[in-house]
Amino acid sequence: MARLRSTLPYDPRTDRIADAGWLSAIGRSTIRWVLSADELLHTLSDAIASLWTPGVAARSTVKRVIVTQIMYTGVQALSLVSVIAFLLGSSIIIQTNLMGSADGELLGKVLVAVVLRELAPLVTAIVIAGRSGTAMATELGNMKVNSEVLALSSLGIDPPRFIVLPRLVASIVSVLVLMIYFSVVAIGGAFIVAQATAAATWGSLYSGVSRGVMPFDLGLFLLKGVGLGAIVGWLCCHYGLQVKSSPTEVPQQASRAVVMSLLCGVVYSTFVTALFYWLVGPPIR
Amino acid sequence: MEPSISVPGLPTQGLLLERAAFAYNELWVLRETDLHVPRGGGLLVTGHNGVGKSTFLFLCAGLLPATTGRVLLDGHGPHVSTPSDLVRAGVRRGVLFDSGGLLSNLSALNNVTLALRYHADVFGLEEQEIARRARAALSELRVAQTDFHALPAHLSLGVRKRVSLARALVLEPNFVFFDDPDAGLDAPTRKLVYDLLERFRDDPKITMVVASNSRPLIERMSVQIVELSHGHLLSKAGSHGPTSRGPSY
Repeated sequence: MARLRSTLPYDPRTDRIADAGWLSAIGRSTIRWVLSADELLHTLSDAIASLWTPGVAARSTVKRVIVTQIMYTGVQALSLVSVIAFLLGSSIIIQTNLMGSADGELLGKVLVAVVLRELAPLVTAIVIAGRSGTAMATELGNMKVNSEVLALSSLGIDPPRFIVLPRLVASIVSVLVLMIYFSVVAIGGAFIVAQATAAATWGSLYSGVSRGVMPFDLGLFLLKGVGLGAIVGWLCCHYGLQVKSSPTEVPQQASRAVVMSLLCGVVYSTFVTALFYWLVGPPIR
Repeated sequence: MEPSISVPGLPTQGLLLERAAFAYNELWVLRETDLHVPRGGGLLVTGHNGVGKSTFLFLCAGLLPATTGRVLLDGHGPHVSTPSDLVRAGVRRGVLFDSGGLLSNLSALNNVTLALRYHADVFGLEEQEIARRARAALSELRVAQTDFHALPAHLSLGVRKRVSLARALVLEPNFVFFDDPDAGLDAPTRKLVYDLLERFRDDPKITMVVASNSRPLIERMSVQIVELSHGHLLSKAGSHGPTSRGPSY
């Protein structure tokens, strides 16, 4: 036979800590901040841990979701990245040309420093955060509002594995691939504009680019690509899943997701740049 | 990753709430409660609007973590991040959400096949069998073939609920949790839902919890009824069903 017992435990409303002024306000803020940081870390760690969750069929289902997400995040952003990359590459040549005496080789080195090391990772991450990050956060927020995340759990489908992991992987892959694409189109655009404005010959530009690229650029490129992609995917999923039950929370969390992605992305990019230049040593000539 | 746990010394079959309580911030939906609904038993939860019936249901289903205490399904503690552990342990839950809870970017058919595909290796299912089972479940719930490939947004509430029921049914659950199953349905669909609920109620392998205030449903279900009020589960006198499988105090 079944049994049920409902007792009267303590009432938390009577156990509230008395307001002790600014000190307790700092304490409450600190606790809130620690709890938020804990949730943020859990979003990432649960997704990474799900890589080791058993289930062959689940793995192939998740792979299909990853491919779909790469389509949405990476492939569909190609045209936008093409336009931005071409115009930015061209602008760099025009600006450098306006300064006067820049020779082709210097222009090539400037392209490597500005496009390859800074603009390609950052602009690609900004495009992905603005275009797909908002979509991710909004989609997940709406899923929370419509009880879809609970429904997945009820079906025995792990939300970190089915929801967060594919978006995280897609974001990393998309940022990396689009960074390469951005660099090619931006440098290609710069070559075309340099030729059109007679700023430099293709040969001198090519020489500048090839001399400007250093072995450490591969590490810098990969570290920035993987890191920025992970930041965008992670934060956008996290803030999307922070929506509780009200549709009005969805745009708020989507906006927060993009703002935090951009802020953390710029901080991360600058940190990696500083780290590499500190490791590499003297200026590149 | 926390695995599902089997707890020695406690009832290992059915639904067990052990000193379980749940609060949203400072609002206690359920105060410390012990409850056992044995395998094959049924429980109907009533209560005023906003009292937390759905939350209680989700807590019982292991979809929400208890604030204190624990919830065990056939002796296994659900973990919110890894619900697949339960499926691998043999616990299959069918949950009907008030609004359907269908995945909005999947067609009706894909909503039903999703869990079967995800757990195909656990259930030992081939692709053909998955499709056959899903179509059979949808047909049983009288979902028209033309709606199989429609997105949930293009379906009426009644059809969405029937698809959601098919999704719960296709897993051959040993636990069912239904939230307001007959709300907003027309008479034929309501009858379909009642028949299905009676089938689950009479199945000795299925433990059932239903949250509803619907008078016709309460009269037809003939299971133990409790009222959720201010965080307490209160027994409703004379609500025992004709069978001895309902929970008692």
